[in-house]
Amino acid sequence: MTTAGVDARNEAAENLFATETIQSGAVTARTPLQLFWGRLRRDKISLCALGFLVVLALIAIFAPLIVHLVGVPGPNEPDKSTLDSFGLPTGPSGEHPFGVDGIGRDVFARTVYGARVSLEVAILATALSVGIGVIAGMFAGFYRGWVDTAISRGIDVLLAFPILLLAIGIASACSFGRGGSSGCLGGSVKPGLALVILVIAFVNWTYMARIVRGQVLSLREKEFVEAARSLGASKTRIIFREILPNLVAPIIVYTTLIIPQNILFEAALSFLGVGVQPPQASWGKMIADAQGSFDTAWWFMVFPGVALLLTVLAFNLIGDGLSDALDPRSDR
Amino acid sequence: MSRHAWRVLALAVAALTGLAISACGGGGGRDEGGAIGTGAPVKGKKGGTLKALYANDLEHIDPGEAFYQPDYMMVFAVHRPLYSFEPTNLEVASPDLAAAPPKLSDGGRTVTVKLKPGVRYGPPVNRTATSADVKYAIERAFTAAVPNGYAPTYFGIVEGAPEPGRKKSTDIKGIETPDEETIVFRLSESSGAFVKALSLPITAPVPEDYAKRYDAETPSQYATHQAATGPYMIEAGKDGRITYEIGKRMTLVRNPNWRAATDFRPAYVDRIELTMGNEDTTVAARQILRGKGLINGDFPPDPPVIKDAVRRRKSQITFAPLGNRYIGLNTKVKPLDDLNVRKAIIAASDRNALRLTRGGPIVGDLATHFLAPGQPGFAEAGGTKGPNLDFIQNPDGSMALAADYMKKAGYASGRYTGSETLTMVGDDSGVGARTAEVFQSQLQKLGFKVDFRQVPHDTMFSKFCNVPEARVAVCPNVGWLPDFADGQAWFDPTFSGESIVPENNSNWAQLDVPAINEAIDEAKKITGQAERDEAWGKIDRMVMAQAPAVPWIWDNQANIASSDVQGAIARWNGQWDLSFTSIK
Repeated sequence: MTTAGVDARNEAAENLFATETIQSGAVTARTPLQLFWGRLRRDKISLCALGFLVVLALIAIFAPLIVHLVGVPGPNEPDKSTLDSFGLPTGPSGEHPFGVDGIGRDVFARTVYGARVSLEVAILATALSVGIGVIAGMFAGFYRGWVDTAISRGIDVLLAFPILLLAIGIASACSFGRGGSSGCLGGSVKPGLALVILVIAFVNWTYMARIVRGQVLSLREKEFVEAARSLGASKTRIIFREILPNLVAPIIVYTTLIIPQNILFEAALSFLGVGVQPPQASWGKMIADAQGSFDTAWWFMVFPGVALLLTVLAFNLIGDGLSDALDPRSDR
Repeated sequence: MSRHAWRVLALAVAALTGLAISACGGGGGRDEGGAIGTGAPVKGKKGGTLKALYANDLEHIDPGEAFYQPDYMMVFAVHRPLYSFEPTNLEVASPDLAAAPPKLSDGGRTVTVKLKPGVRYGPPVNRTATSADVKYAIERAFTAAVPNGYAPTYFGIVEGAPEPGRKKSTDIKGIETPDEETIVFRLSESSGAFVKALSLPITAPVPEDYAKRYDAETPSQYATHQAATGPYMIEAGKDGRITYEIGKRMTLVRNPNWRAATDFRPAYVDRIELTMGNEDTTVAARQILRGKGLINGDFPPDPPVIKDAVRRRKSQITFAPLGNRYIGLNTKVKPLDDLNVRKAIIAASDRNALRLTRGGPIVGDLATHFLAPGQPGFAEAGGTKGPNLDFIQNPDGSMALAADYMKKAGYASGRYTGSETLTMVGDDSGVGARTAEVFQSQLQKLGFKVDFRQVPHDTMFSKFCNVPEARVAVCPNVGWLPDFADGQAWFDPTFSGESIVPENNSNWAQLDVPAINEAIDEAKKITGQAERDEAWGKIDRMVMAQAPAVPWIWDNQANIASSDVQGAIARWNGQWDLSFTSIK
């Protein structure tokens, strides 16, 4: 409510400013980037989210250092002295700020290291799916004809898969190797983070491809494309130099919206036991481990749960803010 | 963005609040005082309904196939083998269908058993059980239609016993039935375990005339049409087919033809309902502790529940010592084929930490060898202190000693520096998963790279640990519960090289040492109890010296019951005895 008021006032200020510049006669051109940054800067919530993500990235990068500075044991070092005589974990204390888990591992250290998994998935899986999606979408939209048919029908088929079931199937097929070999396809695909990232990329590129294809279909008819074509530009040049720059805004917006989806997907897979492999810490896996003892050891689920919640929330808010900043006219 | 963002934030706050509120729930209860339940049978009153909660289905319900603890819990209330164990007796079985202890003659090679007269089948068979029915019950267990896990192990020495997996049941010449109340077994060699094996459910009578048409199918359909001789029978429809909803429930009702005078079972309750599918065992355990007429079926309560019960509801929990747990080290896989590497791993293993994953000291003593306390041969194997081997002495593990053994194995740094990765396959949930993760961290401390694959417990056995071809190096979630209290039942299937089979292998270490194989073969033939204990105790020491596994706990199995249940534990099975439990 208040923000709406603030926005309106800002809008007014901007108009006033624009009029002034025209009146003064000294026209200073502002690049799209400056415009974008100007709008984003006024969006306090997005800035907070961005700040949170920067801190999270620093935490993930410097995880070993942070764990060392706080003075807790590493994420994969069970310490039986932190368990009571029934083998039950102890709660938050000076030595273990977030308590310990079912086998005496420090929850703080595991939550901090879990940020690495989430961000790795956020970056790698999203980059892969965006990369594949953008290229496939551009080719489908630009060439149309049989290329479009092949890609679009392929997307339809992929979208028809129950994604979670497919992922579980692939992951469990890859853990049942015989004769000492682990993984499937001759041991080249092993269960673990890499497999999770591949599975996510495999199923998530379709959304991006559809959006890009739609945009390219209209862009390819625009005058600047025709101009480039009449000047004899090659198709590759038209696709990558003329059309792609115009796609940056939607790509960025949808990327930021895919990221939280991917983080949650990794958490879900790890929760179901087909994601990261023990003893590696992942928030989803930690929550799964905590299931049985939530009523006696709440810390074991709450801290990774809150971390997951805040991270996903931050990415969602940033996505929202970016889409507003890149395209303020869009009615959301 | 504004409105959208606030909505998201509001949702987040709501979620956090909900989390905090539910975190504060739980707890409560009163301090009851008193002592932890003994599980000893107590005279109770007749009547009432007992309800047992199971997480999973029963594996087998045919007396010829039943093999697991939860199977036995049901089968021994419905069927009467020649001999069976009274709840408190672990070592000597009492005559059940038999009238008296078996008579041995001909140097132990002929075993004669007299049957009680007047033990009758329940409907629809309604006739007296005869010696021919016992003979048929054993013969059918050698067919493919009735896959029995132990028939060749203990009954293979009966003269004329066929190879298992026959298409049709064949007459075993070595089992004679001179009259309806006498059965004579002729053995190819004397065997101390044979007499004890007469207490397995394979000797419960099966009426051939009635069962034949069901056994003609593979797998046999007799399980769903079975005729009871025990105090209870599975509730059946008019056609004799039992009303058993797989995965849901089974109901036991009184067998109208059972006569109390012929049986040592008091059979207090009128009706027993087994409910399956209670997969959330924490919820099920809490239901049992707070509810009425409930006992646990196939699952042990989780550590938080044990703690809660031991503190506040002492009389509702009881502990039964039975069986052991160990971590199999595959002696055929590099680098575990090196005895010193295996010794180093045992020396490094912190058994106290492993035990805490299951619930700490209350759920069992730290194991120093294989035979569990109370089992014949335990004292001879070294008792609680164990054999005089340095690598199993320190309950918290000794990294210094482990480093010494690694040096002896040729790793100068005292840590593993080779290129092999150890494949470890363990449970994907519950306490088993925790045990595996703790052991994984202990292996990593010694420098090993561990590829830990988590799968469901039964898959761990059927696809990995029971299959030598899978070449699993470490099986962290195995253990042994003998068929009956005897060294042969402990060691023959688990550490004899002759027991290694391509499927269903239970020699997880794949230990194949000629001296041990020979000692096992010799010990099998001994019939005198004292010499037998001596021989199997010595075999325990020989096996332990080979370091084929890390024995870490002698289980004290926890069982829980509602406050109105007067429960009795079958010590030989480690679970509630349905025929001795009553409702207050």
